[in-house]
Amino acid sequence: MSAPAAPEASHGHTTLEEGKFQIYVQIAMLLAVITGIEIITVYLPFAKWLLVTVLVVFSAVKFLFVIFFFMHLRWDKPFCTILFFIGLILGGGTMFALLKLFGMRESLPLPLP
Amino acid sequence: MSSTAAVGAIDHHHDPTTSTGIPNKKLVMWAFLASDCMFFGCLISTHLIYRLHPPANAPQARQVFSIELTSFSTFILLMSSLMMALSVNAIQKGNLKSLRASLLTTIFFGCIFLGCQVYEFNNFVFERHMTITNSILGTTFFTLTGTHGTHVAIGVFWLLLMYVRSFQPSDPETRPSWFLGNVFHVVVFIAAILLCGYVAIELAWALEARGASLGSLGLFARDHGLAIAGAAAALAGLVRLGRTRGPYAFGEANAIDVEMMGLYWHFVDIVWIVIFTAVYLLEYL
Repeated sequence: MSAPAAPEASHGHTTLEEGKFQIYVQIAMLLAVITGIEIITVYLPFAKWLLVTVLVVFSAVKFLFVIFFFMHLRWDKPFCTILFFIGLILGGGTMFALLKLFGMRESLPLPLP
Repeated sequence: MSSTAAVGAIDHHHDPTTSTGIPNKKLVMWAFLASDCMFFGCLISTHLIYRLHPPANAPQARQVFSIELTSFSTFILLMSSLMMALSVNAIQKGNLKSLRASLLTTIFFGCIFLGCQVYEFNNFVFERHMTITNSILGTTFFTLTGTHGTHVAIGVFWLLLMYVRSFQPSDPETRPSWFLGNVFHVVVFIAAILLCGYVAIELAWALEARGASLGSLGLFARDHGLAIAGAAAALAGLVRLGRTRGPYAFGEANAIDVEMMGLYWHFVDIVWIVIFTAVYLLEYL
């Protein structure tokens, strides 16, 4: 029963590989446009917290597009995603903790004598 | 060329021979990239922490940075990521010619990025007087972006080796000296990159100092004639060494090797996405 399915699977695989070219080009264009919007964003007269949030969201979107499409996580086994996100969460968590810790008023450097 | 008869027959995302179903090389690369996330996370946090409490008389990052140059570098790195993805796509279809063209473009973009970084560092040190030792901003900035630049340089070297490896003949008996030939190919490639990079950066400095005119170009050609001739000779050598000479051993079965290199290159790109926002753009708010 499984023998006739093989050519279909192979055909589907080939179609996927063919379609990836279009996906890659479209994503690259999207990333370039987002980068352009980011540069314009920093000059907009809005509240700083809002602009920082927008920039972080844009960065996260670019980051996720690259890892899921260019780095093939979308088509690979989920374990690759889990493995990478372990490092990412540990690195991101360390960053968050350090910034919180050193962002406190008590962490301000002492004035020079 | 390698055989393309079985294009699409290899499943590039799964390997039934391993217990995880993931090719071992891919698993190792993802584990390495996860560890590198923590490494860069620490470097970026160090920079941001010192930016929270800049000491008195510290240089103003906004007056030092050049958003135009950095935006250009970012665009170039994004486009290099696209070319890297197309390289992987090409070898997965067994298309060696397209793979080589995409790899060469990726190397070219990587070199432009590195050139921009060398220009930027020179500018910061000699024009803006910010060095790695005279301010905390300089220390954290040069350590972070320098480490990233080193990653890019390693990536360019890896791309270069992969490009030259694609010239390994399928039957070594027909060309017994292929290995020495490939070593020579690598040497010529490195010489071409270094000489072209040197000429491009010197040209940028010369045009900035004397203005863009035929006279200043003539002066530049007179002062750097040897380097220009060397760069031209190395490029001509690359064209000659890049000619197709019979069937090659490199094919669709090697797609996993190109994909590993691609993962590393894309990682360098995503790190820059974070650095661009956290280090450069935030300074402009």
